[in-house]
Formats: sequence, C-alpha cells, structure tokens
Amino acid sequence: MSTIAYPRLRARVGRNRGVVVVIGLLVVLLVFGAFLSDRFRTPTNLLNIVEQSTGLALVSLGQTLTILTGGIDLSVGSMISLLSTLTSGLIAGNAAMILPVAVGVVLLGMVIGGLNGLLVITLRIHPLIVTLGMGAVLQGVVLLYSLGPAGKVPPGFTFVAYGKLFGIPIGAIVVLVLFALVAGFLRYARLGRYIYAVGDDDEGAKLMGLPRARVILFVYAFSGVCCALTALYLVARFGVGQPYTGLNYTLASITPVVVGGTMLTGGKGGVLGTLLGVYLISLLNNVLNFMDVSTHYQLIAQGLIVIAAVSIYVEKKKRI
Amino acid sequence: MLKLTGISKGFAGVQALSGINFDVRAGEIHALVGENGAGKSTTIKIIAGALQPDAGEIAFDGKVVSWSGPADAKAAGIHVIYQEFVLFPHLTVAENIFLGHERRGRFGLIDHDRTRRDAADLLQRLGVAIDPDKIVSELTVADQQMVEISKALVHKVKLLILDEPTAVISGREADLLFARLAALKAEGVAIVYVSHRLEEIFQIADRVTVFKDGAHVATTDIGDVNRERLISLMVGRDLKDIFPPKRGTGGGKVTLKAENVSVAGRVRNASLELRAGEITALAGMVGAGRTEFAMAIFGGLPASSGTVWIDGEQVGMLSPAQSIRRGMGFVTEDRKGQGLAMLLDVAANVTAADLDAVTRRGVIDRRRENQIAREEIEKYRIACRGPSTPVATMSGGNQQKVIVARWARTSRKVLVLDEPTRGVDVGAKTEIYRIMRQLADDGIALLMISSELPEVVGMADRVVVMREGVVSGELAGAAINEAAIMRLATQHPSAAGSHP
Repeated sequence: MSTIAYPRLRARVGRNRGVVVVIGLLVVLLVFGAFLSDRFRTPTNLLNIVEQSTGLALVSLGQTLTILTGGIDLSVGSMISLLSTLTSGLIAGNAAMILPVAVGVVLLGMVIGGLNGLLVITLRIHPLIVTLGMGAVLQGVVLLYSLGPAGKVPPGFTFVAYGKLFGIPIGAIVVLVLFALVAGFLRYARLGRYIYAVGDDDEGAKLMGLPRARVILFVYAFSGVCCALTALYLVARFGVGQPYTGLNYTLASITPVVVGGTMLTGGKGGVLGTLLGVYLISLLNNVLNFMDVSTHYQLIAQGLIVIAAVSIYVEKKKRI
Repeated sequence: MLKLTGISKGFAGVQALSGINFDVRAGEIHALVGENGAGKSTTIKIIAGALQPDAGEIAFDGKVVSWSGPADAKAAGIHVIYQEFVLFPHLTVAENIFLGHERRGRFGLIDHDRTRRDAADLLQRLGVAIDPDKIVSELTVADQQMVEISKALVHKVKLLILDEPTAVISGREADLLFARLAALKAEGVAIVYVSHRLEEIFQIADRVTVFKDGAHVATTDIGDVNRERLISLMVGRDLKDIFPPKRGTGGGKVTLKAENVSVAGRVRNASLELRAGEITALAGMVGAGRTEFAMAIFGGLPASSGTVWIDGEQVGMLSPAQSIRRGMGFVTEDRKGQGLAMLLDVAANVTAADLDAVTRRGVIDRRRENQIAREEIEKYRIACRGPSTPVATMSGGNQQKVIVARWARTSRKVLVLDEPTRGVDVGAKTEIYRIMRQLADDGIALLMISSELPEVVGMADRVVVMREGVVSGELAGAAINEAAIMRLATQHPSAAGSHP
C-alpha cells in the first residue's frame, strides 16, 4: 500500500477545497439572483457588487497572510479608523496635500503593523493579545485626535472610489492587481513559502532555522499597509474619515479568509479563496437587498455561511 | 570534526547534562546510546544550535563556535534528523525536502518544476517510491521518515545527526538508509547515530558513546564491546532478561473475534481471534495494513465489511465510544499527536478516559484524581515528580507508561497497543513488557502491533502476520520465530491461502 495513484489535479483540488466550495456557492447565488430579479443581471449591478467589496477585499488581503502564519490581526479596525481620520484631517481640503498624506498614511500603516510584528516576536505573546491591545491603543489615539469626522478631501480624491478605467471601477482593478501579486508572491517567493511553513509548524520552522522573525514582521507590516489602503479608499468613498469608520472591519476581515478555506491555525489556504470569499459576501448582501429583507438578515446569513463553510473544511481525522 | 568539552545544561532545576565530553571524527559513524533522560536529545539540540549550553565549549571543524540559533549550525554544515520529524504536514513532499533551500529560477522565484524533478531524483537515489507531489500529512509514518532522511541529502553536510531514524521504518528501508550512510561516511561526513536498536549499532557504527543520567559513561570502539556490556553500561545494572516469561497458550477463552474485516484499499477480509490472558502480535511490514485492521476492529476507521464478536456476542462493527464502553482500549503509535494531552499533568492524562471514576456530582475531584494517579505511578513505575508533573516534560518511555496506564483503567477485556515501544530505551521497554504481561495475567486479551521481530518473538503467545492487506498466516507457541514470521510477511499473498 505504499503507492496509491495520486494525480496532481486531485492534489491541487484537495489543497484548495475552499476555493471549490466558494465557487460553488457563488454560482448558486448568481443563478438564484438571476431568477430573482431582472435588475440583478445588469452589468451595472454586477459591477456594483465588485465595487462595494473593495474595502473588505483590501483589509482581508492583509488578514489572510497573518492567519496563514497561524496569527491574526485584531487591530485592523482601529487602524483603519485612525488612518482614515488622519487622511482627511491632514489633507483638510488641500489638493496639494493628497500625495504626501497618502504616502505618509501608507508608511504609518506599515510602521504600526511592523510594531505589531515586533511585539509578537520579542514578547512572545500570542498575536491575538498583541493586536487586541494595539487595537485599543489605536482607538484611543484616534479619539484623542478627533471625536468626530475630521477635515475633508478635495472633490478630485473621490476618483479613487468612484472612478472607472475601461468601465471597471478603479478600486476593483487595484484589488485584482494586488491579489494577483500576493498570490504570485505566496507561490513563487521564498518568503511566501516560509509564511506557510511558520503557520504549519512554528516549532519546526525554528528548528530548521527558517527566518521566522522576518516572516512575522512582514505579514503584520503588510496587514498595516492593507489597512492604510482601505482607509484611503474609505475616505475617498465617504469624502471624510471619522474615528469609527473601521469598527466593523476587524471581524468582517476574518470572515472571507475562513470562508475562502484558509485554516485559522495557519499553514493552509491562500488569497484566491479570500477574494472569492469577499465577492461571496458582497453578492450575498446584494441578493438579500433584492429580496427586500431587512439588512439585519445580512448579518445572520453571513454568520451561517461562515459556520457552514468552515464545517466543510474541517480536516477529517483519519484515525480515532 | 566536532568536539564537546564540559558541556552542561539545566532546565528549571533539573540538570539535563553535567559536564559531558563528546567528539566525532570526519568519516566515522559514532553511535550515541543511553536510556531516556540520559541527555542524548539535549546534546543533539546543543550541537544543532537549538539550545545554548550553560557551560562548556563546542569546537566544530577546528574552531570554537557558539551558535546563536539553528540557522548558524545549519550554515556551518550540520544537519539533524530529529526523532519527532520536522516536516510541514500541509506542504508537499518536494516542498518539504527543499524548504530553506528552494530551487529557484528566473528573478529568484521558486521553480516548481525543478523542485519536483530534483525531489523525485533524490527520492530515487534513496531508493524509495514516494510521489513528490503528495501532501506530507497523507504519507505513512515510514514514508515521512524517508522524506525526512532525504532532506539531509539536499546539500553537502559535514556533520549529520540522526535521532532514532529507524524507529518507524522496515528492514528494507533501513538497509537503504545504511547504504546511504556508508556512502556519506566514505565522503568524509561525520555521522552521529542515536538509536535504541543495538543490533543496528553493531552493524554500522565505528565507535559508541554511552550517556547515563546526563553524564558521559564511556566511549569505545564498537569492536571492544558486546551487546550485554553495552546494555549494562546504559542501565547501570545487568539485564538478564528483557522479556518476562510467557505463560504458554491454551486455556484462555476467545474474548474478541473479528471476521472478514475490510477497509477500502487497505485491508481485505482479515480475521483474527484474541484470547483472554494472551498477547497476540500483529506482525508484518510497515504498510501491510496492521494498524488499519486493528483500528477498524476498534471502530476508528470505517470498515467496508466485517463482523466483531465480543465474549461470543455478535456486536457488528462498533464506534470507538462503543468499543470503549465494551471494555476495549487502543494505545496509538503516535503518542504525541493522538494520545496524550501534552500540556496537562500526569493525573489528568491517566484519568482522561475514565472521568466517571473521579467525578462527583459533575465536578472533578482533584484529590481523588491525584490519589488514583499516585497509585498508577507506583504500579507502572512512572518516573515523575508526582501527579501534577506535565507529561510534556517527561521522557518518551514514561509518557508511554502514562498512556498504557490510562487505557488499562478502562480496558477490562481487550487492549490494542500499536508499536508500544517505539522510540523507547531498553530499560523502559523492559518495564512496558512487564506491564503488558501483567495485564495479560489479569485476564485481558492484548493485541500488540509491532515491527520489531525480537519483540514479537519475545512477547507474543500468538502471532497473526499480515501482508499487503491480507492475513497471510498465524503462528502460536513454539512455532513463533523470526524466520517463520518473515516468510509469512514477505511471501506472495496468493501462495498464502485463505485464513479461516
């Protein structure tokens, strides 16, 4: 029994069960929506679905990497709140400030995220605790800075959220490009491989002398950058940043990751599943809108999907 | 090549190593032996940079060195094959082999085709047929071991350390490994070989060093010692007899009967009978379906066909919970992954399967639990500070005793032990054999799955041999010997005839 025929395709599908399941659910919802309403089928509506998912997609991208290492980033919500408030507060309607502030915000996100990583490495505390604490600190900082919406952005800035290139929303294009880059990074870069290794067996990674500290520093800094991008997008969308903008993103950012098949314990999964998970949630909300039910049902449906999806991925124990 | 001088290391008050000396020359295989807790693993970890010594000096390749982490030792040319594999279960075989040494192509990106090709080459050179695209968690333990070994061949090493590399592989695979080691030795690689299998050490080693209780006992050329001398150096006393006397077969009533059990792709129409008071061994090569057969009887694997009788009552195929209720127990091969709650203490682990005995009105009575634990610690001679010792801090042999103690509490009728002495030293082995015989004498029917022929011959009252998923024969009493078992384990199944 030492050799059993094991085609490469089956191995691939087996490794990406999440992707297969989510695609199935997407198809089901699309067919359902198409029967539900004529307006659902219009390209405008489908583009809407993609466009509305931009913020969630960006923050979930960073979250995917932290979860792949077996960690988690619970500071994303507060970080988005802080960075978006700073963005509009510092730009304050001055078009000349857009570029320096945007660059500064991205760097700040990287620094705060990097600090998360540094604390995880040096204090040897579980990332859940480190980022939970960091989230509280950041929320406090943003409230010290401003208790309500701060400043404003010049009209041109909304292009980031509402502009289109060849009829496709800019945000959606940015998302697709970023996800493709990260997917390639995970598959072809050594650091990408080590992200999986650290998540799969942290102790083993240490014994093998893999650059574990670099991996952890990288994923949290990257998550910070993703938060900054989300913050910029949200400011463009709403015209202003305020201290509770990011509130819901902390838990929301985890949903597409686990629905997309990434294991919460790390070591298995990927960003394609996350992207599809984001679209699934956006599509679900859209379909429920067409069904004309209360938005509260959207939360209920999301919750049920998470539990159902993850129960499918649970690794079947082979023995006992 | 490597010289340790006066190395000491303590953990939280326990002195693991006290001033040991150890040296390895280029082009030699140096065996390192000792009981569990002798300090072999700690020594290996210090050489590998995974632990830093409290005192002493390490010289490697003529220079005094001080590793700040495993990466330093690795960069200097030291490779360790740990007993607890360092394999990443969700990566493929090829990805695991080249982890840290990724095969890269243009722009420094990982070249997946080359990774796969090189991995296939490497495995072929080692002589094993393992699909490089397979996910490691889906391999058998033996194949995982071979992948672990192949990792050592990826790049040139100066010092190779192997910790119990043959604990889970069959004789053929061990021969492949030994051939590879001989080739490396001829190239001038220094090899440290840790094993509990003394036969192997006499087969391949040039010198042998004995540790006991964290101290260096002896270093000698292999030609200057014999087996008995080595054992007495290790345990500090003469071991006349490792195996307790057999009681002889016959008389015991059939406690469990399994007929025509099949597991898809693994076991075909296998049958066996277990008698009260007897130890039955399930022998065969790794991959013959022994574990799967036993696991199916216990209910841990879905059987596509089969019937089980317990005490003459037909019970069909049970679930593990039903089996436990009917007095069966199963000590798994992988005690860390599937058996023990490593972070909990001895008391919690001993009573884990029998919480009713320590629960009063739904609350666990810690006093009662500790009392039971103390009884079991004494009964099985478990070496630990007390009931509240975390099992993670204990040696492999003592962890194994904790598991056996737990299952023996609830297994009134049948106890299955899968490789019960895997990775356990001579002293602890003897203890476990004594416990097994004692349980049999108490009237329990034992089923021991074992790849070690001396163990099968020394312990079993009856032997059921499997080959490629079918039962190829049965031996009892005086008919049990290594040659007869090997014949049944390797003969062609069509020649074996059907088992009643």
